[in-house]
Formats: sequence, C-alpha cells, structure tokens
Amino acid sequence: MSIQDELKSAIMAALPDLSCVIGWGPGPEPLRAAPLFIRGEADLEGFTAGFLSVNNPALYLPSLKGSKVGIVAKGCDARSVGQLVTETLIKREEVHVIGYPCGGVIDVDKVAAGLADACEPGEVGALREDGDDVVLDTPKGEVRLAKKDVTADKCGRCTFPNAENADVFVGIRRAPAAAEDTYADIAEFEARGTEELKAFWEKEMSRCIRCYACRNACPLCVCRDHCIAASREPHWVSQADDVPDKLFFQVIHAVHLSGRCTGCGECERACPLGIPVLKLKRALSRRVENLFGYKAGIGTETPPLLTFAIEESTIKERDW
Amino acid sequence: MRIGVFICHCGSNIAGTVDCAGVAQRAAAYPDVVYSTDIMYACAEPGQDAVIAAVKEHGLTGVVVASCTPRMHEPTFRKAVERAGINRYMFEMANIREHVSWIGKDVEANTNKAAELVRMAAAKLRLNRELKPKSFPVTKRVLVIGGGVAGIQAALDAADAGLEVVMVEKQPTIGGKMAKLDKTFPTVDCSSCILGPRMVDVAQHPNITLYAYSELEEVSGYVGNFDVKIRKKATYVNWDKCTGCGLCTEKCPSKKSYDRFNEGVGPTTAILIPFPQAIPKKASIERDYCRLFNQGKCGVCAKVCPTGAIDYAMQDEIVEVKVGGIVAATGYDLVDWTVYGEYGAGRYPDVVTSLQYERMLSASGPTGGHIKRPSDGKEPKDVVFIQCVASRDPSIGRPYCSGFCCMYTAKQAILTKDHIPDSQSYVFYMDIRSPGKGYDEFTRRVQEEYGARYVRGRVSMIYPKGGKLVVRGADTLMGGQVEVEADLVVLAVGGEAAAGSPALAEKLRISYDGYGFFMEGHPKLKPVETNTAGVFLAGACQGLKDIPSSVAQGSAAAAKAIGLLSRNMLDSDPQIAFVSVNRCVGCRKCIEVCPFKAIREIDMRGQPKAEVIETVCQGCGLCNATCPQGAIQLSHFTDNQILAEVEALCRF
Repeated sequence: MSIQDELKSAIMAALPDLSCVIGWGPGPEPLRAAPLFIRGEADLEGFTAGFLSVNNPALYLPSLKGSKVGIVAKGCDARSVGQLVTETLIKREEVHVIGYPCGGVIDVDKVAAGLADACEPGEVGALREDGDDVVLDTPKGEVRLAKKDVTADKCGRCTFPNAENADVFVGIRRAPAAAEDTYADIAEFEARGTEELKAFWEKEMSRCIRCYACRNACPLCVCRDHCIAASREPHWVSQADDVPDKLFFQVIHAVHLSGRCTGCGECERACPLGIPVLKLKRALSRRVENLFGYKAGIGTETPPLLTFAIEESTIKERDW
Repeated sequence: MRIGVFICHCGSNIAGTVDCAGVAQRAAAYPDVVYSTDIMYACAEPGQDAVIAAVKEHGLTGVVVASCTPRMHEPTFRKAVERAGINRYMFEMANIREHVSWIGKDVEANTNKAAELVRMAAAKLRLNRELKPKSFPVTKRVLVIGGGVAGIQAALDAADAGLEVVMVEKQPTIGGKMAKLDKTFPTVDCSSCILGPRMVDVAQHPNITLYAYSELEEVSGYVGNFDVKIRKKATYVNWDKCTGCGLCTEKCPSKKSYDRFNEGVGPTTAILIPFPQAIPKKASIERDYCRLFNQGKCGVCAKVCPTGAIDYAMQDEIVEVKVGGIVAATGYDLVDWTVYGEYGAGRYPDVVTSLQYERMLSASGPTGGHIKRPSDGKEPKDVVFIQCVASRDPSIGRPYCSGFCCMYTAKQAILTKDHIPDSQSYVFYMDIRSPGKGYDEFTRRVQEEYGARYVRGRVSMIYPKGGKLVVRGADTLMGGQVEVEADLVVLAVGGEAAAGSPALAEKLRISYDGYGFFMEGHPKLKPVETNTAGVFLAGACQGLKDIPSSVAQGSAAAAKAIGLLSRNMLDSDPQIAFVSVNRCVGCRKCIEVCPFKAIREIDMRGQPKAEVIETVCQGCGLCNATCPQGAIQLSHFTDNQILAEVEALCRF
C-alpha cells in the first residue's frame, strides 16, 4: 500500500471520533495543494500528502478548539501542534495527529526561477515526480528540474521530518536532512553588519503592502482580530504606509514569537512579495536556543520568555 | 485637561545648573498646559500652598511638579493635590534633580533635558485617569525572621502591643550571636544574664509562637496578608515529649561532632542542646554526625530517653501561616578569614576568631571560662589581637568597617587581664573607631588601666616558633617593625550578611546590596522599612551594628509593624493590572509570567479570559509586557501613557 493509501485508511479509521481531519487536497493550480477538511470518505477524493503539502494545517487548530480534530502532519506541522499544546492554546486530547515521513516540500518561487523563460508557475499543466527530479508540463514542453533545487530552504535544515508527537504514524521514519539547525544562514546574514542590515530591511519593507498574510499564516499568531497592529488602545503601530511602521510590525511579530516560533516558515511562504520575514524570527530563535537551550515545539516545557523565574537556570546573573 | 507645571529650584540643588524659569517658560507652550511657574522649594509648606492656590485659581485638573525623585516626594505632592481637590493620580513628577542637575554641569544642556522631562510628564498626565484605592482587611500577626537580639526585641515589642507574633529561627535555639558572647561592651555586663530573661520571655509570651530549627520556605501575598510557608526541619526529637533533661546528650557515643554554638571550640555530641539557657531547651540530632544515620546502628538516645521523644523517622514539616507584616532580623556571619595566608589560613590552632575566644571566656563554654590554648590547653600569657581582619579590605571584597570589632577587642583585652592577671595583651589596629556613649572612654581604659599595648599597624605574617606564634607587623607610629611572641592570637574578624541572605531577600521581594545586606527604604528617612510594603528590617541584616543599635532597630521595626497593623483595613494601591476583556484572547501568557499568581482564567460566555485578582496584584507590569495584543494593561502606566512619553521625547 502506498503512503497515500495508508494515510487514507488511517484517516478513515480515526474519523468517527473526530469532527474533521485536516490534510491537503487539490489547490488552485497544479503546483499548489490547498488545505483539505475531511469529514467523510467522499472528501478523500484528491487527498494528497507529499511534495505539494506545503501549508501548515496546525494553523486551524486554535479556531477549532472545543471539538476533537485530526491533522495529517509533517514534522514541522507537528512541532506547531506541540507548541500550541505547550502553551495550552489547544488541548492535546482534542488533537489526533497522523504523521508520515516527510521528504520536503516544494518552493514555488524556486520553481519559477527554474522555469526561467519557459512559462509562469501558474501555467504549468502538471507536476510529476520522477526519482530525484520533478517533471513539469509547460506550454513549451516538458521541463525537468532537480527536486533538491525546488525544495523549500527549511527542508534542507530539517531536523524533525517525522511527526514526533503523532498518535498514528504511517510509513517508515525518515532520517533528518540535518543533525541540528546550526543557524549558519542567520550567522552569515547577521555578519553583514548593522548598517547593511538596516539598508536591507528598509528596502525589503518598502515593498510590504501590510496585507498581514505573514501573520495570518502563522499557526502561533492566535490573537487574530485582536492583533496589536490594528489597535488604537494601545496604539503601538500607526496605520501609516511607511517603512518604520511596517518594520516595527515585523519586529513586534518576531518578538511575540521569540521562544515560540518553530520555524515552519509559513510567514515567509505566504508573503506575496517574497519578503524574507522568517529571518527575523530565526534570528530570535537562535538567541533563545543559545540563552535558554530551548527549542520550540519539542518538549512540554513552557517557553522561557513566558515564565517567571527569579533566576534562570541557564543564565548565571550573579557571575556577571 | 488644564495642566499646571511647577519647576522647583530645590534651593540651588536644581537652580544651580538648570534655568528653572526658562524651563517653566517652555513648559507653558506644551499641550494642555495653562499655567507654568518656577518655585523655590515645592515641597515646603509655602510651595505646597502655592500649588494648591494655583489649582484653585486656574481651575487646574492636573499637576506636574519637576523636582527631585518621586521616591522622595511623590507622596508629598499627591497629598497636596488631593488637598486641592484633584485625584492624587492626576499628578506627575519629573525628576530634574537626580536625573539632571546633580549629574551634569552644562546649564544649557541641563535646561534642555529638564524641559524634555517636563514635556514627557505633561504628555503622560494628559492620559492619566482618576484612580481610587480599594480597602481590604489585614491580618494582625507579625512574622519575625531570626531570633537574635534584634528579632527578640521586635517580637517582644510587637507581642506586648497585642499583636500575634510568629518567630522563625534557623538554629535549634534563639539568642543569635549575642547568646555566644561572654560579656558586652562598654559596661562589661554578662551577655547571657541580660539576654537570657528576654529569651525566656519569648518562650513564655502568650502572643508569640516560636518555630526554632525552621526556615522560611516561601512567601506569597502582599502587605497586610502575606501567606508564609515555614519549613520545620526534622530534629528527630519530638519536642512535645522532650523535657530537655539532657540524658541523651550525656550518653551519645558520637562525641566528635562540630559544635556550632561553641564555634568549634571543642567537640560535642550528635544529639545536643546547644547551651544550658537554650530556648527552646530541647534536644535535636545533627544528622551528619549521628551514628544511626551514618552507620546504621546505634539508637542509644532512643534507649535512654525517659519520655520516648526520639523519632528517627521524623520528616521536615511545612507550616502555613498568614501574617500582616514581616520583620527580617537575620543578622550576620563572620567572614571566612582563612583566605588570609599571612594569618596562617587556619593552619595554626592557636590562631582563633574573636567569637571562638568569646566562647573560651564564657563560663558556660567548652573550657568552663578558662582561657586555654587549643593546641596544648595551656594558659596563654601573651595574647595578640589583630583588628580589621576581613574588614576595610577591598582586596577580598569587604571594603567596609564592621563597626563593632574595635569595641569588642577592647572588651576582650580587658577580660583577658581579668582572667589571667599576669597576662599581656597586644592589639594591632588600623584606627580606633569608638563613637558611642561611653565607648571612647572604654578604649582608653583598656590601654590606661589594663595595660593593653596598642600597636598601630598591620600584621604581615604569623609563624610558629617553639610552641609560640611570632606575630610580625609594622608599627607605623614608631616607624619600625615589631615582632611579638604570642601564646595565642585572636583575630577580630569582621562580619558579612548571614549566609543565604540574597536568597531570603528574593523570597521576601526586597533588595539587597552587593554584600548581601538588605536595603532599607531610604538610608536616612526609612532605615527600617524596605521598598516592599509590610517588610521591615531589624539588626545586622540591614548593615552591621552593635547590640544597642540592633535592639533599637528591633524596637523601631516593631513600631512600624504595630503602626501598620493598628488599622483594620488597608488601602490597596490602584496602580495594578486590568484586563480589557474584549481584547483578551485567553492565551494564558499573563498567568504564566505573573510572579504573584495574581491572574486567573475565567470563563466568559464560553470564552476563556484573564482576570486580575486586585488585592494580589503588585503592579509589576510583567503581564502587560507579555500580553501580545496589549489586552492587559497597568493602570497609571498604560502602553499609551508610556508611548505618549516616548513620543514627547522623540518628536523629530
């Protein structure tokens, strides 16, 4: 039985106890799958779990609190579930996690780059996986791209390809792409120096259209309609379309996620302008890991910045 | 809003380096400011009257005073504006003294900065709201931590005033350091004769509950209603049954235990009553030395105990009490002097500390009041006292003067002569510090009547020579080197904050200085209060002091506690957190970070929301800083008020 079929049977087996199972189904175009809410066997039509399963289904869990929900989870999705549970934003007993070994997901921006002049990603007729390659049907004929060249960056540094907290795991556990996340990309980025980084972010943020897709795609941004970005009382951020205010919002977003972000990358993936906002969050995650030895979404410990301790066990303040 | 601004000269304290009239002039142009003036002393009666008159004359609804730190006079001005008919929270203070005039000399820069600070204060004031305190009942019971002379005095005074007192003492007996002393300066009266009756009073006072061999485990709650957990450490003796007969201590075969009370002068038994006048006079087992605990067999004490009080299975017990006020009187410890190689670093048995010497002098001590050399038990003839050991020494991080060593050294030199008339004492000193009633006369007397030789200089080394110790030092007055062949050397070791003081301070939520001494509210005007309401200080835990000063501070702390608890109701501080329920998403982050457990989750029409328990909230603002959507705010310090200040400062 293929992984797809095994997943389908796992979903059908669990469904009687659940209000729905969230997975992936056909999207608006062949390169993109969309979240699929499965309530019966008929909904399994078009169910997919694999290279196109980009979206993080954990996003929907807080809003479904109160009923038991199943999700089909990649390793990174499962970390989001873990973090939501740790923060008591959802209840563990209200989630049924169906895991499978994830081999990485597509980055459509990279496909666009690979297609070059052949066509726009939206014009691709079909995608077929062929060994280490993907084969795309385009109006100008078949284009063959190496899978590793069109896989999301986060998958290259993935340390948890298998949903560690799965209630049911389908298939054979996959070895992680990396032994640990070294944050080499962030170290390199930060080495550019303050002035250059300031110029970088000013340029990037000048493109921001304040659509808040980054925020809305984040599984841990649970404030939703109560977001501080839209508040007058307190009035931290104005509605002005200027770079300082837009960057300020991104910084607030990153700070609110410090010690909470699992690095699923949905913010950056959702950005219609391709602004690399995940960098801000990873920069903070790196510091939280160094200071507190804390990785979000792995254990059951409360994030260090959401606790009160007279003395942090990892920070020897008295020795300063 | 109609804001009045008052720029205080503080005599020349502020006006010396700030153009106060210029600041007042600039402030007149700030939004909503309708009246602005400079004033000689805003805190003085004419100053306060001028503020009140201006409020009435100009119909002010808010007041900014730019003067000193709010720690100093915010309460003064809040009362003044209240007298003028405005809510006390419609007042803001700009600190242009500590933050401006005292730290810079450039008049132009200072004036600019003062004007900016006033602009910030006025901008915040525009968003201030009237706040009203709520009142809550108080628990009329005081916790005294530490049963030394300061704690005893505080406990007795509070208990005599009708308050219930709970005393917690770490050691198996109260009495503290004073109980170890033989005599006290400058009267040379017997320490245990004057302290003993007080200790008995503590035991017998109907209002005092004593928990000896106990430590403070946890403190929660707030002024008027602290919830305290006390850990009663296992003594392995049921004190309800123990009569203090001492039979167990006679029969205990483990006779080489460290004698804590006698500072290690001679060994003691594993089960012991620290000294004959101990309160409570009950036995306890030092587990580390007990044969039964370490070798698995013995049980002699259990066999001989006539009342069957021995209980080897005893466990620590946690007692919970509710108190309205807390007096910390945890005293001091001697600094570890063995860091000094020049004094032998602890290698020579005949180099002893002043407290060890005190135990040798005491008739109830291990030598029965006979001065004996620890090495051979012989009576010494030449005794050298070295002052300022671990005091006034920045090299070991103890730059302060311990204050009491000059006096007790003089006393010990006198007692040495009393005990051994043909003895000769030598005292190496840096300076003689003897301010106090009858103190300087005392230090003259030891030299003039008792013939102690005072040598002004430091000791560079001590080395053994034929059963004696050669003390080599400088005599800076004679300008040469001196060597004294001593039979016994007594080090006047300085004091430091008692072990564990910082940890206790953190439990009590009070500040402590770099040496571990607890910080008073104000060095002059609040010497027994702390910055945590309802927590007071007595004795050496606040800074080293002698017995009279400790007793005085014990009484002072008791007076503060009595004053606090003389009221049936206390006003709560309205500067606490509040939740905007329509913004709250019930994410519980505020609940997690609250150090006071002052926030709970409630169910509002099926939605989880945060709720502040108003009497428990201390207004620290951690929840406010953590709440991602700003739903929980701190009254009087809302995000928008802070942002208004930031914007007033960063206008460009």
